[in-house]
Formats: sequence, C-alpha cells, structure tokens
Amino acid sequence: MSTLLEVSGVSVSFDGFRAINNLSFRMGAAELRAVIGPNGAGKTTFMDIVTGKTRPDKGTIRWGEKGLSLLGLSEARIAREGVGRKFQKPTVFEDQTVQSNLIVSLKNRRGPFAALFYRPGQGDIARVEALAEKIGLTAHLARKAGELSHGQKQWLEIGMLLAQEPRLLLVDEPAAGMTLEEREKTTDILVEAAKTRAVVVVEHDMEFVRRLNCRVTVLHEGSVLAEGSLDHVTSNPDVIDVYLGR
Amino acid sequence: MTGSFLKRNPSVPIMLGALLLVTFLVSILSEAAGGGLSTSFVKTLGMTLCLALAALAMDLVWGYAGILSLGNIAFFALGGYMIGMWLMTARTENIVAESLAGSVIPPTPAEIRDAVGGQIFGVVGSSDFPPIWSLSSSLWAQLALVVLVPSLLALVFGWLAFRSRVTGVYLSILTQAMTLALALYLFQNDSGLRGNNGLSGLQNLPGQGDVPQAQVALWFLWGSAVALGLGYVLCAWVVSGKFGAILRGIRDNEARVRFLGYPVEGFKLAVFTLSAAITGIAGALYYPQAGIVNPAEMMPIASIYLAVWVAIGGRGRLYGAVIGAIVVSLVSSFFTSGQLPDLDLGPLRIVWVDWWLVFLGLSFVAVTLFAPRGLGGLVDLWTHRRRPSRHGADLGPDRGSFREEEAEA
Repeated sequence: MSTLLEVSGVSVSFDGFRAINNLSFRMGAAELRAVIGPNGAGKTTFMDIVTGKTRPDKGTIRWGEKGLSLLGLSEARIAREGVGRKFQKPTVFEDQTVQSNLIVSLKNRRGPFAALFYRPGQGDIARVEALAEKIGLTAHLARKAGELSHGQKQWLEIGMLLAQEPRLLLVDEPAAGMTLEEREKTTDILVEAAKTRAVVVVEHDMEFVRRLNCRVTVLHEGSVLAEGSLDHVTSNPDVIDVYLGR
Repeated sequence: MTGSFLKRNPSVPIMLGALLLVTFLVSILSEAAGGGLSTSFVKTLGMTLCLALAALAMDLVWGYAGILSLGNIAFFALGGYMIGMWLMTARTENIVAESLAGSVIPPTPAEIRDAVGGQIFGVVGSSDFPPIWSLSSSLWAQLALVVLVPSLLALVFGWLAFRSRVTGVYLSILTQAMTLALALYLFQNDSGLRGNNGLSGLQNLPGQGDVPQAQVALWFLWGSAVALGLGYVLCAWVVSGKFGAILRGIRDNEARVRFLGYPVEGFKLAVFTLSAAITGIAGALYYPQAGIVNPAEMMPIASIYLAVWVAIGGRGRLYGAVIGAIVVSLVSSFFTSGQLPDLDLGPLRIVWVDWWLVFLGLSFVAVTLFAPRGLGGLVDLWTHRRRPSRHGADLGPDRGSFREEEAEA
C-alpha cells in the first residue's frame, strides 16, 4: 500500500504544555482510520498541524508520492494539495443555498480572477446533483443552508469536502449530536468515501467507531498509544488504563 | 449563482430605470433648460449620486466581504485631488496665457509654467511645481491617476494588513489610522497639495469659461448618473457570481473558505482594491461639483458618514447602499441648508444645522436596534425575499439549526 501521509516525530507545545509529543502517523492512499483518545489527547491539534493551522516545533510531514513537505505551507495551499477538513461544529455558508455551498466547493481554479469569470457549466451542475444525491440533500438544493437541521448541515459539510475531491479527508466528530438513524447514514457516507481516498475520523463515540469497522489509532498525551483493530486496542491494558477504564 | 444576469439581479433594471427617469426629469426642469430647478439643487443631486457610488463601493467591502473599511473616504478625496490637479493647472494656464499674450515679447513655455506655479502655490509660500504635479497638464494622465492612486494605496495597505490576518475592529482602526495619517500629512504646506487650502475653483472647467454653471451642473449630473449606473452593474456582476459567494463566505466563515483552498487574502485584496478604484472615480466626479477639496474632507467624521449611509440603507445589498446614501445626504442637505426655521421650545432652541447630527445619530441607533436590514429591508415587503417565520422557533426540524432571528435575509 502506497503511503499518502507520513507524519514523523512531530512535537508542539503551547506555553510549555506539550500538546503533541513525538507523534508519528501513517496513512495509505485509500484507507479509513479512526482516531480516538480522551479529552486533551491532542486529536484536534493533530488535525491543526496536518492542515497547516498550527506549526509544529519539530518533526516532518510528508505528503503524496513525491514526499512534499507540508510544513510552512498555508492552509489554502494544503487544501489545494488535497487535504479536506471537516470541523467539529458544522461549518457551512448559512446565508447561501445548499447548491451555492456545493458549487463554491467544487474543485476548480481557486484564484480571485478565476472566481470572477466562473460560470457553472452543465458538468458542474451535474456534479453538484450527484453529490447532493450522495449526502441525501437533493430535495434541499434551493434552500438556505442555515435552515437545515444539524445533521443535514454535517452532511452538507461532508459533501462540500467531497466536492473538493481531496485525497485525504480529516473529519472531526461527525456524529456528535446526531440521531441513531443519522449516524448510520453518516457511517455509510464515510465508508463509501474511503473506498477511493484516505479518511481520518476523530471520534469519541465507541459505538460509532465500531460501526466504521476500521483500523483505530489511540492517542494519549500527544502520542500514539496503540494502533490496530478496535478489538485489539480495546484489549490493550495501557488503553484500558488511560481511557476506557476510567 | 445560476441563471441569467438579470434573473440573478432583478434590482439592476429598476435602479437603471430610476436613474434615467430622475436624470431626465431634472434635466428638463433645470435652469439650463429654462425650468425652475436651481443650479445649486442640480449640483446637490449630482454630488448625491457620487456619494451613492462611494456607498456602493463601501457596501462591496463591508456588506459583502465584512471588512469595515474606514479608509474609503481617503480614496474618495484622493480621486478628487487627482482630477483637481488637472483642473487647477489647465485653468490657471489659460488665464496666465491670456494675461501674458498682450506683452511685447511673447512668453516662453517655461515662463508660463513658472507663472502658473506662482499662481497655484503662492498661498503656501512657494512658486514651483512639486514633483507630484509633473503630469498635471495632461487630462488623460490625471484621469488614469484617479483610478491608479487609490487602487495602489489600497493594494499596498491591504497587502500589509490582510497578510498579517488583521480582521474585525482592529482592521477598521488600522484603516482609520491610515486615513487620518494621510489627512494630517496633506494638511502640511510642503505636502505639495496646498496644505489646508486644498485645491479650489474646481467648478470652473478649463476652456469652458463661456458655458454657464447651470449647464456645467447638468453635465456633471449626467456624468455622475452614468458612473453610478455602470458602477451598479459592475458591482451586481461581481457579487452575484462565484466571487460574491466566496466574499460572503469570507464574511460569515473565513476559516471554511481557507480550508476549501481559497486564498482568502487574495480575495480581500481584490475586492478592497476594486472598491478603492470605484471610490476614486466617485470622488473625481464629486469634487468638481463641490468646487473645493481639502484634507478636512478626510477627517474621521467623513468615514463614519460613509459607514452610516450603508448601515441605514442596509448592508449586504447594493440598492440598500444607494438608497441609504441618497436619502441621508439629501435629508442632511435639507436640514443644514438653513431654510428650515429654528424651533423655539422655550428653554431649548433647536437650530437644525446643529441638531441635525443628533437626529442622524438617533436614527442610526434606531435602525441598528429595530431594523438591522436598514431602509433596503423595506424592499423585502413587496418582493419574494421574505424571512421565514416560525415565531422564533428553529427554522429546521432539528436542534442546532438556524433560529428565525438569526436568519439573514
């Protein structure tokens, strides 16, 4: 399996507090991975580092076949390289229609002048419709995103990420605040997406992780504590100590 | 984002039609056409259209991109200065050439230039043209500078500010500081733009001395109306496409736009520069009608005025900015014209010229509290653009969705 993302020996401190401590992490090109860990384990900071929001103090991040270093690139540049990020709180353009949200996200040239002269063609409209179908929002294309329910907004944001055609999808607690039915649908969307790209899901909820049925990485105090199938890591005594046992 | 231009911007034909109608009516009723409208009123209308164009540009950066720029008034004044340089130079040249024509030895071009310099810069104790005036004899060069100088200032300032990710109120303060610094610099006599005297006599067009001001006023009214119409179409085109969708995205959620891969700083810089260019043109049309431009035009109160117009009109919609600027500045010139008799309330005597600002302040507070959509929000009453009404409940079927009072129309 070819490596898409390789994080090695990364550390970062905030005012002396070590949020990430010598973390190493590898992702294949088409893989679903769940990252779990107690509060303060560094899950969100890890995402911040990969997406360029936070600069690590040391360590390297290699990306893609050519081993491009992501350190020092802007968030927008990293996003254009193919890293999509879903925030914990649903983050969509509430003032705009679902269709507009998706069109803006479609993979197209990103410069101001390209945007100024952009007109959505037949191909783009068709792609938006296919995406809406995938996330179950076909009937809501003309509605303002702000009117959607919490779960629908989460799906819309995932749809916006898919529209970007990223090679790596970082998803922060997608199931928080969802009903059981909505969770099942979210699982389906993520599992489907992971067939063609790498998907990292940060999650608290064990039941949701079990349903994802994938490799699990346990973070603790900023580094990897255990890795493997969910049954494997949950039987690990260290993991039970720091996380599950409490 | 889909559909034809007119379908996406139903306000464009209405705005253009209203402009055409007003300009036509004023033209046939004006003094120049033998009607009863005074020349000063026609000038006030022409200037009001320029202010509306400046408000439109303000709405572009504030209402759409969420950048409350208090520097736009500097671009406005700079536009006026750039055209004023040509107006003063060309007109003084004509006068000097005329007065020297009678002398025994015909004057050399250098002599004329020196005499013109003495005329223009005598008030600041100098007689030489400063280097920044080197293009001032060329109308075309100064017209280009009307656009280039404000754009360049916006480009450099915006680049420095946006790349440091200064946002919100800090950015507003920074733009205000830039404006104030520019004004204080121009107040100095050696700034090269005649210090606090500013540029004056701009209402007299060079070579058009025989044309009555009533006619000149009409020309500028037409010019201002055309500029506002074109500016409106341009702004409507900019904000109704994907560019506008991204601007509103930046306003509402900058991080999301960034993580979608858009260079946020580039978009901010583009819209800020465009706004500066439009504002410069508005200023270049305004000051020849006002007759004088000086650094006092850039004092903080002017920046606040521009913001108040857009807020009262309703930001985030182009017609709101136009309506706000026109209504407030026309009402303002009515109250400050001195035509209204003072109101005697016993111990309190209401002098409208002084009290008008108090009423403006109160109405600004009232609009902010009771009608956050501004005067433009009235348009919603007879268009489809209605707020969803669920009596304050969630708009969606689930928790966490938009509440009614949050839904921006």
